[in-house]
Amino acid sequence: MFILGFLTRRILQGFIVLFLVTFAIFTLLRVVPGDPARLIVGGMAPDNVVAQKAEELGLNDPIPVQFITYLGQLVQGDMGNSFLRPKSGAIVGASEYDDPTRGNRAQVLDLILERLPLTLQLAGVSIVFCLLIAFPLGVAGGLRPGSWMDRLAFFAGSLFVSMPNFWLGIVLAMLISVKMGLLPSIGYKGFSYTILPAFVLAIELAPFVIRTLTVSIAQVMQEEFITIAPIRGLTPFRIVFAHAIRNASIPLLNLFGIQLGTLLGGVLVVEYIFDYPGLGLLTINSVLQRDFPLIQGIAIFISGIFVFINIIVDLAATAIDPRLEY
Amino acid sequence: MTDKKLLRVDGLSVDVVKGTMVTPVLSDISFSLNTGHVLGVIGEAGSGKTVLSRALVNGLGPPLEISSGQVIYKGRNILDLSQRELRLIRGKEIGYIGANPMGSLDPTMAIGEQIVEKLRSVRPDMSAVAAKERVLDVLASVHIPSPEARFHEFPFQFSGGMMQRVMIVDALVTDPTFLVADNITQALDVTVAAQIIRLIEELRLKFNTAIVFVSSSLPVVSSLADEILVLHEGKIVEHSTPHELINQPRHDYTKSLLARLPRIWGDDVKQLAENNGDVVLSVRDVAKTYVVRKRGTFNDHNYVQAVRGVSFDIHEGENFGIVGESGCGKSTLTRLLAWLETPDAGTIRFQGFDLAELTKAELVTMRSSFQLLLQDPYNALPSRMPVGRIIAESLYIHDGGSKEEIRRKVLSAMEEVGLPKDLENSLTVGLSAGQRQRVCIARALVLEPKLLILDETLSALDQVEQAQLLELFALLQEKYRFTYVFISHDMAMVRKVCNRIAVMYLGKIVELAGNSILFENPQHPYSKALLSAVPTLDDHPFQAEEYLLDGEPPSPVDIPQGCTFMTRCPARMKICGSREPDLNITVGRAQSACFRATEMGDEVPHQLK
Repeated sequence: MFILGFLTRRILQGFIVLFLVTFAIFTLLRVVPGDPARLIVGGMAPDNVVAQKAEELGLNDPIPVQFITYLGQLVQGDMGNSFLRPKSGAIVGASEYDDPTRGNRAQVLDLILERLPLTLQLAGVSIVFCLLIAFPLGVAGGLRPGSWMDRLAFFAGSLFVSMPNFWLGIVLAMLISVKMGLLPSIGYKGFSYTILPAFVLAIELAPFVIRTLTVSIAQVMQEEFITIAPIRGLTPFRIVFAHAIRNASIPLLNLFGIQLGTLLGGVLVVEYIFDYPGLGLLTINSVLQRDFPLIQGIAIFISGIFVFINIIVDLAATAIDPRLEY
Repeated sequence: MTDKKLLRVDGLSVDVVKGTMVTPVLSDISFSLNTGHVLGVIGEAGSGKTVLSRALVNGLGPPLEISSGQVIYKGRNILDLSQRELRLIRGKEIGYIGANPMGSLDPTMAIGEQIVEKLRSVRPDMSAVAAKERVLDVLASVHIPSPEARFHEFPFQFSGGMMQRVMIVDALVTDPTFLVADNITQALDVTVAAQIIRLIEELRLKFNTAIVFVSSSLPVVSSLADEILVLHEGKIVEHSTPHELINQPRHDYTKSLLARLPRIWGDDVKQLAENNGDVVLSVRDVAKTYVVRKRGTFNDHNYVQAVRGVSFDIHEGENFGIVGESGCGKSTLTRLLAWLETPDAGTIRFQGFDLAELTKAELVTMRSSFQLLLQDPYNALPSRMPVGRIIAESLYIHDGGSKEEIRRKVLSAMEEVGLPKDLENSLTVGLSAGQRQRVCIARALVLEPKLLILDETLSALDQVEQAQLLELFALLQEKYRFTYVFISHDMAMVRKVCNRIAVMYLGKIVELAGNSILFENPQHPYSKALLSAVPTLDDHPFQAEEYLLDGEPPSPVDIPQGCTFMTRCPARMKICGSREPDLNITVGRAQSACFRATEMGDEVPHQLK
């Protein structure tokens, strides 16, 4: 079975990637300035309490030992506890010492899983928007290179790529939420809260998709099996929809695997602007608060998603073009 | 009168339009065609024959424009039809087969699915089940083995010859009354091309289809056509029957075309003697097997036995030919001879030194004495380097002396291969294929090699350039006593230049003989099959009806037991299934790996019968 061999190989490779990411993140977080133990117990805590906490958390062990301990926990699905976030969900100020909720920190994995569905929803909707915008423009441009449709696709792409997401987010929130009152834009209380941020993300992704589609459709249309198809008696509709788009979608799929990074970067900014309680907002807050276990957990989790989606992308590409089965 | 004709072309002219520049490609083409007849169109590269065949199906796109003329099919001008009217006849009544079968279908879909798609596009009334049945029927009728399984395979899983059959099915599945075949044998091996020609002949008798058969090979066209058009620079220069065309050519161009055809058989063919110089290259029991992961498995491997124990000697100053169909292992053998890859078993000795025993430094020095020239002169040269620098490159590697000395050597090599001096500082962009090949030759020449290995070096060139380079090779050989190894599938070229020829089949040499023995009295049935497929106007001693084989060689993964040729051999015996024959000595110094060879050995040569 090709699928089995492929999956085994790719998942093994994925674990290696994950291990390296974990190692890099872990080490980098240990060498930046700042004492986690003091962070946990509060800036004003007496030194002996800080020392005790450090001992408790194993922060005095050499970094490799700490890393192995962490890996051991990770394998069991334990990403550790947040330094700062209590289970109740409230964020505490970091400098007070005697905070009663401090002893009861939230699990990193729980925090992530709680936010993940919202971010997946945001990403999914934005991909749908993106395809809705990019497909007609890209395909039309690719079918008639040099025509006004091609120029329209190019123009739209240039326009989208030069609009920064934070700017567009603010402008849209102003126009659509404040002035027109059509859609909500701050926080999350239902699906309608996803639409505006997803649209901003879609605009950010669209230029790449438009460009790739235009180029690959134009290229496929030059191929002999397309130029010869009308002579064989195929209708223009089938030529474009059954053959050209099918062949052009392979570079597009690969692009998606790569553009995932852009999408995630966009998620950080857009969630922050719209105060959308997803993984991005969680990341920004945990970075600002130096919540090391949480940053670590999110980074590893996201690289896991990366690996997973790229496996799916390659599988899908192989399903479309069996020549890729190597 | 006109109604009786299925197709009539009147004063057809086509131009290339680029901005305001208008260059005529075809001018004033007129002919007509009856049901069941075959019209051959012959022309060189650039004569406009592909444009003509596309114009006949109204399949031209920018920058090509039809400036005047009509293509009347069944009383209607095809060129005037709307796209919708065109769709009712094109693909249905009019079939078209192109020169590039591998690129003619969507690479991401199974071939059967695509033919069904086509069939149902032109005949929407047909059910999917009926269409599939029809496709399977036609697949079987063009001798594609196990059509049910192949129906679900993708284009890349087919060989060129099989794919061309698929395209023939694609055209015939709708029972067309008129078929345009545009150079359909060009990309194929001779034996496969001969099979395809035979197939077209068969189909024409069976379905009474009118065919326009376009080709660059006069022998191929004349074997098939009822009438022939000779196309030269976009004009018809001659129109007659094959017999008349060959025996009484009227136009000068036709005469020169006939004169340039390589002669293969006949009393006036120049006989090349074998020569017995010192042994330059000695190959003993060389074998190479590639391990390839099996498709659809995780850790299972196929062993592709590309070369399976090959031995021969090449003498100084001789031209040694290696021929065979694609997949017979000749390219792998080339790579072994050039020591780009090392053999798994056996030895290759060059001027007495075992190449496997040399140190890296010694090998680099030794390499300057044997040089490889490849088929594709476009990919063989870096595009951002001036010609002079490209040629000097090998001297830098092999320490060719001071700067001035290198420049002097480069310039003299350029002069020798016939490149003008002022090309020294220009890039390769504007050079023709022939000039590029000359750059490659100069690059090898500056090292003063002893042996040149030519892997299909002349295949990509047209007849005129090919002849000029062969002259150059002969000149260099006279001057420096070069030894050449020609690896080729072009039997006519091999006949013209090689002293001795090895015929390869499935990784082994099945026959090794001098030029005249191989061409006039070959012993191995495969050599005969190969020769029978060579298109020629000469009196053919090996008639295709008798010697041409069906099918394709077995895969080098599953090599048959006993004699590997047995699966296709018309004269197999009991012993062939159990033992693989060696290269036995038969006539004179010819060797043949066939059990029948010895018993037929003293037969008189074919020509003398």
